Amino acid sequence: MDFDWSVIVDAMPSLLDGARLTILIALAGLAGGLVVGVIAGLMRAYGNALLNGIAFAYIELIRGTPIVVQVMFIYFALPVLADIRINPMSAAITAIIVNAGAYIAEIVRGSFLSVHKGLKEAGLALGLPMWKVLLYVIGPVAFRRMIPPLGNQFIVSLKDTSLFIVIGVGELTRQGQEIMAANFRAVEIWTAVAILYLIMTGTLTLILRVTEKRMRML
Amino acid sequence: MSMVEFQKVTKRFGTVVVLNEVDLAINNGEVVVLIGPSGSGKSTLLRCINALEEINGGDLIVDGISVKAGRSQVRLIRQEAGMVFQQFNLFPQMTALENVAFGPRRVRGASRPEADTLARELLAKVGLADRADHYPSELSGGQQQRVAIARALAIKPKLMLFDEPTSALDPELRHEVLMVMQSLAEEGMTMIVVTHEMAFARKVGTRLIFMEDGKITVDGDPNTLLENADNPRLREFLQHVN
Repeated sequence: MDFDWSVIVDAMPSLLDGARLTILIALAGLAGGLVVGVIAGLMRAYGNALLNGIAFAYIELIRGTPIVVQVMFIYFALPVLADIRINPMSAAITAIIVNAGAYIAEIVRGSFLSVHKGLKEAGLALGLPMWKVLLYVIGPVAFRRMIPPLGNQFIVSLKDTSLFIVIGVGELTRQGQEIMAANFRAVEIWTAVAILYLIMTGTLTLILRVTEKRMRML
Repeated sequence: MSMVEFQKVTKRFGTVVVLNEVDLAINNGEVVVLIGPSGSGKSTLLRCINALEEINGGDLIVDGISVKAGRSQVRLIRQEAGMVFQQFNLFPQMTALENVAFGPRRVRGASRPEADTLARELLAKVGLADRADHYPSELSGGQQQRVAIARALAIKPKLMLFDEPTSALDPELRHEVLMVMQSLAEEGMTMIVVTHEMAFARKVGTRLIFMEDGKITVDGDPNTLLENADNPRLREFLQHVN
């Protein structure tokens, strides 16, 4: 077969529109997921039985169900259950927040608990309240240890946005699917889509590597 | 009034009784050296004073405050009782200077220039003025422990607790840490030191306490006890240590 470059050139504006949405969903979702993950992770690591239980239930619920089911639930079931109508874009971002939050919670918990307990004692022995010990003493050490697994999660979540094709969000995979349905040029379109994903994940990897390099690993 | 007062303090780990109704009063200016076989409860006794271990029975008063008086009161006790750990426990993400300035800034609310000035004075005092900008990983064990002492002093405690401060150090590095502790004692600091350094006990200590099985069994003047121990267990212990 002939690889027709003009197909890609013609499709590029639409694909870039899709990529833009993909980046938007991933960024907004991961920013929210980071907040949710830090809170849930700290609840798991340092909370009382109730807080720990709530966080545990949340994490198990999300990790135990596929993200496609989660986004369908948010988009199709929630309106029926609670009379909340949301657009596909908000449903997609919410799904990433909720999903990534659960995995990030375990990353946060793991890295905080991996910090030598002598540091916690040294902080407490100075007369600091626990939250300041977490913020100034343990947090900075734990954060450095979080970077590699967080990078993994960021890449997984970015690629997970392709699943939102099921609720009709016009992200990159959906755009590719639509162009392909019109011109049947599967090879060119899916090659272009794959390369656009690689560029996005590659950039992410690069950013994380630079962050890691600029920090003293402890 | 005593600086530290144990009133029938009991501490258990599960079913193991680590401190068994301990009574002890320590006064201002005393340099108390705590010795005993491992598992005798000496480190636990020290850690109960600043409530790193919670007591299960009796009461423990530090500078007029009970360790059972609640979180905010416990923080006040900790701000009066500086602690030095066997493993130094310096904050690895901070330089020596930042480690020492941390307490004044975050605990005492000092401004950054104030805290840094104090930290530089204290680093000079422990002989590490030229290492201020080094990270803990760039310092020897002896240097790290001296930074840790400066860090504890920076919150201006009335009492210093030392939990085997030289046990993790090579013999040639112990001396520099012991010298700093000695000068601190000579300034009149109240100190409680868990250690196996008998020369330090003899030279610097004003009181020697021997513990076994969660109880204080010998309590007296270090020179007298080290020359002539009546207690057979203490005599046996000293033979093993020396």
